Amino acid sequence: MNLGTRKLLDRSFTALGVGSIVIMGMMLLVVLMPILSNGITANVFRGTIEHRKLLYNEFRRGDHAELQRQIAESDAARRKAYAMMAAFEAEMKLMSEEKHAGYQEKYDQVKSAMKALLGPVPGEELPELTRFKYGQTRWSKAEERLHELLYEKQWDYSNPDVEAKEYDVSRAASFQGTSLVKLFPYVESNIDRMLLPEWTVYWGFITDSSIDSHMFGGIWPEIQGTIFLAVGAMLFAFPLGVIAAVYFTEYAREGFFNSLLRSANSTLAGVPSIVFGLFGLAFFINTLKVSESKSVLAGSLTLAIMILPTIIRSAEEAILSVPKTYREASLSLGSSKWNTIVTVILPAALPGILTGGVISLGRAAGETAPIIFTAAVSVGSAIGLADVFSSPTPALSWNIYNLASEHEAASEIRHVQYGMVLALVTIVLMLNLSAIILRARISKKLKG
Amino acid sequence: MKKQWGRALSVIALVVIVANGRAEAKNGIVLDGSTTVGPIAKSFAAFFMNKYHVPVTVSESGSGNGAKSLINKSCDIASMSRSMKPQELAAAKTKGVNPVSSVVALDGLAIVVHPSNPVKTLTIAQVADIYKGRVTNWRQVGGPNFPIVVIQRESNSGTQESFKDLVVGKETPVVGSAETQASNGAVKSRVSLTRGAIGFLGLGFADASVKKVAVNGIYPTPLTVKNGSYPLSRPLFFVTDGQPSGFVKQFVELPKSADGKKIIKELGFVNKY
Repeated sequence: MNLGTRKLLDRSFTALGVGSIVIMGMMLLVVLMPILSNGITANVFRGTIEHRKLLYNEFRRGDHAELQRQIAESDAARRKAYAMMAAFEAEMKLMSEEKHAGYQEKYDQVKSAMKALLGPVPGEELPELTRFKYGQTRWSKAEERLHELLYEKQWDYSNPDVEAKEYDVSRAASFQGTSLVKLFPYVESNIDRMLLPEWTVYWGFITDSSIDSHMFGGIWPEIQGTIFLAVGAMLFAFPLGVIAAVYFTEYAREGFFNSLLRSANSTLAGVPSIVFGLFGLAFFINTLKVSESKSVLAGSLTLAIMILPTIIRSAEEAILSVPKTYREASLSLGSSKWNTIVTVILPAALPGILTGGVISLGRAAGETAPIIFTAAVSVGSAIGLADVFSSPTPALSWNIYNLASEHEAASEIRHVQYGMVLALVTIVLMLNLSAIILRARISKKLKG
Repeated sequence: MKKQWGRALSVIALVVIVANGRAEAKNGIVLDGSTTVGPIAKSFAAFFMNKYHVPVTVSESGSGNGAKSLINKSCDIASMSRSMKPQELAAAKTKGVNPVSSVVALDGLAIVVHPSNPVKTLTIAQVADIYKGRVTNWRQVGGPNFPIVVIQRESNSGTQESFKDLVVGKETPVVGSAETQASNGAVKSRVSLTRGAIGFLGLGFADASVKKVAVNGIYPTPLTVKNGSYPLSRPLFFVTDGQPSGFVKQFVELPKSADGKKIIKELGFVNKY
């Protein structure tokens, strides 16, 4: 090959490499940016007066005097709207029966739209569920509710052969000629004064418990549950994995039995996680009865079995990569085999072992399938360390799924779901980062 | 110096985590089962934790799983959207479990379609034909010329069983092309995004994103479910092992209390008591 072609090939290979790295970086950006930008809306958003009321009533947070002042201000604006509604109710009573019945249904819609926007109408019985006790706590949601108050969504079914199209009908038009017609422009132009939106940073999203099944409040029980499960899995899997790796590399004789064990280990690493989940249910809960019901313990054990093969493999690799000369030097100085392993080989292999361990920790934190049947519940309070043996816990991965599919008001609380995703991704990223830092520090120490 | 800081921090973190859970170290109540009963169970749980400070955990894994958990004694209350099956009762007997059901609420099984669908009413026979695969186009039931996307629930679901009992017939299989979704919420979002889709939901889940269809001319509302004129309604149950006692009893009897009734009503379900 002449020099020219070689140079050309070399350059094109470099270009290919750089290109693929750029594409990978862009993919990462495409994946991470929406997670970040959506997730942050759980913490930072335009909160209304309703949000501040909620914070004060449920968590006793916020400046009481200032809150009272704001409530008085917003109530002043709201009072006029409620007065208009009361006036219309009185007007309806004077109407003929037919007319009354015709307006009643439409008025009920208006009233429930007002309740959704501003919370319960004063003077009426307070609802039991927290989600109906407050109006919209977030300005973006309030704007959607305002639109629903002003316009009725209808579908044009006039042509039965084609799919209907939706269109908006102004609610004001259907109340033409009555006193209620003034309500709509009034609410539209005074909505700011009624809800007093301001930019809010709600860190409580991370440290609070959820209120009324995730409608309000934070995700602390989920974060704590995820940490418990992952750390618990590590407590079981890490020592066991390292011991197994030492056995494989130092004690086991090469032979049929040993290679069988190795291939069994590799097979386990490839088993889908849902299989481990069902196994955990059948073995730890139904057979061994480690706990009465789902529990953190059972979930941790299941996750431990799942990550064990990975830990064994990475620890094995790390131990094998310790130079032979270390071992020989130690043995030649009269050290025993066990002493050599503990004082020379394991410390030298530690960076590799730890990296494998922390990456497995990240995997344990993110897995959903193993904990569905063994540990995770959709609602529960944050549990104490003493309860891990008997109590199940909410966990980020499972609750993200639950909010995405099963929650009855899933579309109302997307921001909670995004916030959970961000929290989970951050936890896993931080774990992986700490693995890198730990590794760097230990290998530096070993060299120096 | 640095090491000490690290140690101090981890000790603080541990203390915080332990202290957090201290207040609620009593024996809790564990619920497992139906996704349809889920909203009621979760709201009751929140109410109960607030009032009695007893931890309550709720899993929504389907009525079938609820029954299994109860039989394996791994939950205190199974929430179910159907009654126990003979096989389950037999399995419970061999394990020494004595299932006692109490009605939580009544629920209508709403037949839902995409809001753009002009079809307003279907008869039970028409719905059955759609699910048996005899009717495949909306035109055949008075709608636009558009293929029907049939959505059903998984076999573990009590809603699916009730639907089959009430509409299709217990032994008749649902058409093979039917798509299976694993929860009420999933059916709702699938139907709300798919023109031509038809599905069934607990009435409490059917919001404005989907269109409820009248069945045999009766529109599903709490009123028509309660007075029995809506043909597709069913009771929802809390099932316990033996007569409940203590906090479990109080929990199971919440639907009879004024607060419980209010919660059920606000969630869009129908009070039995």
